[in-house]
Amino acid sequence: MDLKALKKQESKRKISKGYMWAFFCALFWGIWYLPGTVVWVLNPFDKMNSAIAETSGDGIALVVTAVLITAFNALTVMLALMVWNGVLGKYKELGRTLREFHTCSKWFFLASICGGPMAILGSFIAMGFIGGSFAAVAGLLYPVIGSILAYYWYGERISKRAAIGIAVIVLGGVSIYGGGLLNELSSGNVPWIGYLGGLMAAIGWGTEGAIAGKGLDISEPDAGLTLRFLGENIIWWIIIVPILALVGFPMYSFAVQAFEPLTLLILIFAGITFGFCYVTWYKSFPLIGVGRGQGIGNLYGFCAVIFIFLFFGDVPDWTIILGGLLCIAGSFIMFTEDTSALETLRGD
Amino acid sequence: MSGKRPIKFKILELFLDGKEYWNYEIVQKIQEEYGMRSDFQRDSINFDIIELASGGMLRDVEQKVDDNGIYKKGFLLHKYKITDFGIQRGSDACLRYV
Repeated sequence: MDLKALKKQESKRKISKGYMWAFFCALFWGIWYLPGTVVWVLNPFDKMNSAIAETSGDGIALVVTAVLITAFNALTVMLALMVWNGVLGKYKELGRTLREFHTCSKWFFLASICGGPMAILGSFIAMGFIGGSFAAVAGLLYPVIGSILAYYWYGERISKRAAIGIAVIVLGGVSIYGGGLLNELSSGNVPWIGYLGGLMAAIGWGTEGAIAGKGLDISEPDAGLTLRFLGENIIWWIIIVPILALVGFPMYSFAVQAFEPLTLLILIFAGITFGFCYVTWYKSFPLIGVGRGQGIGNLYGFCAVIFIFLFFGDVPDWTIILGGLLCIAGSFIMFTEDTSALETLRGD
Repeated sequence: MSGKRPIKFKILELFLDGKEYWNYEIVQKIQEEYGMRSDFQRDSINFDIIELASGGMLRDVEQKVDDNGIYKKGFLLHKYKITDFGIQRGSDACLRYV
């Protein structure tokens, strides 16, 4: 076979593999909202929520319960990633990456602060207060935050096309938030903390991406992502959960009760889907470019809405569906800008 | 194994002399130094090189067909050179101890 035909074959293989990884990312990310929503009605989280609500009020009860759920989510993601690294034989690389604290792993720990207590906690809060579809679609606003940060931090220019994409995503955001809000304002019962959770998801994921990128470009993503979740576990289990326990919330007594077959199964399901959505996301980037990887990954919003409909029979408001469509359209406008990456992959 | 740097650090370090290298030359060096003998580990090192190239730190400057099975018979071999961005990231990461 000649050089030209081989180049074509190689790029074809790369592109189809890249799209496959990105599509798996969207599937895993979308499926994650199923266990994330279900876990709220399972014990001990259900009991914990009502027990704390009696003494501290509904709002605080939901946030404190969300903290424990997020902490368990971090734990099971870590487990899933440790198995993954074991299968790939990457424990040594994990150790080598961890030791490069100054140049590399400190970025993962910083990223975990934005990812954990902001994005993932926010998502669980949004799922608990409002619902899975809203949580998933609200998270779609993250590229706007990411590009604004890149503009101020790295001095990255925002092109006209990217600006149009951002505008479309923001319109989507107005639809996602505005639709429900109008109904609730008229009924006088607005779940503000849920909306705040949705915003936390978007801001958290946008910042996490910008920070983690600094470490990930010079490390193996499998190792880097595991360290990012190691950081998140430290934040929850060594800092926040003990502090909440000291303040007087019954964190440990409910945490111990989570070791119940059905609850554990759902938590492990959440860990596997969330862990692998991160892994597959990063696998797609070198093959089809960060832009396409993120654009297709963002189809997760749609996958989540479909899965939630199939499994729970929940049909989201049309404003959420319209907003989700606008966000996905906007992310394609933003991300598919740089066609040179795909052309170089194609060869000539 | 103590004291070894992460694999991507090592790859950048090898390219920091500014010369062009074929992917199999780099892969073989890393395989020897890190004791990574299996085909799977070989491909994983090669994927690290592809990731560094897609991150803009290496540039793919030449390709040829692997007729003799130096790396994988019948597949493409790639020759890479470090970019300015690669030199900057590589120096940050690797030259601290020099």
